Amino acid sequence: MATQTFDAFQVIADPSRRQMMMLLSRDSMTINRLAENFDMSRPAVSKHIKIMYNAGFISITDIGRERYCTLKQDGFNELQNFIDYFDKFWASKLKKLETILNNKQNN
Amino acid sequence: MQTEIKNEWIYEQSPNEVWAYLTQADLMALWLMPNNFVPTLGQEFQFITKPIPSLDLDGIFHCEILELVPFQKLVYTWKGGSGDGIFSLDTVVEWSLEKHGKGTKLLLKQWGFKETNLAIFNAMTNGWNQNVLKMMNHLNEKK
Repeated sequence: MATQTFDAFQVIADPSRRQMMMLLSRDSMTINRLAENFDMSRPAVSKHIKIMYNAGFISITDIGRERYCTLKQDGFNELQNFIDYFDKFWASKLKKLETILNNKQNN
Repeated sequence: MQTEIKNEWIYEQSPNEVWAYLTQADLMALWLMPNNFVPTLGQEFQFITKPIPSLDLDGIFHCEILELVPFQKLVYTWKGGSGDGIFSLDTVVEWSLEKHGKGTKLLLKQWGFKETNLAIFNAMTNGWNQNVLKMMNHLNEKK
């Protein structure tokens, strides 16, 4: 079955997925345990898990007959990239403004 | 974790001169980006640059002026996305100008980087520390 791929922001935009990640932030959990916390069908829970898995937010480990979900950092790094990018962006722009203002004065 | 960008810069020129470079479209284009800025409260405008594939941004920043105090303060929204109408970047940019000797102290702030996301991130980091602690306790018990 083909699963839609979402970027980090789309993954996090869904309240159920956010809640799942909050639960997983406390501890790893089996898919069944996780599903108990939600008023939705087991396939619906599985679909959310697959979306989070594909975007690098969780990893899944098979232990015995159970599948354990654990939170992963990869998906979250994308969010940090925005901040890093614009921090550098503004610093270089402000420097450029200085050069332009100073050149204007010399003319 | 950092949730806000702050940048401060001192210019030799007066606040009035610096203000012109923040609020006149042709002067803004010289150092920032091509734009269709009009200095009116509530006015929408865009900055246009090259796409930034690493952030999945199409290079158009959508802005709306939220606050405008001549020669002192300018605040506008700063939104961007891949072009599908969803803004993955939904932030606010604030410029404040202060006299600094003969020159100007320009303070830039940008905030709004998806605070819910950052809250989860922080919760997750704490969760990890707890997990590591648990694991270490477990290992110590085994000794």
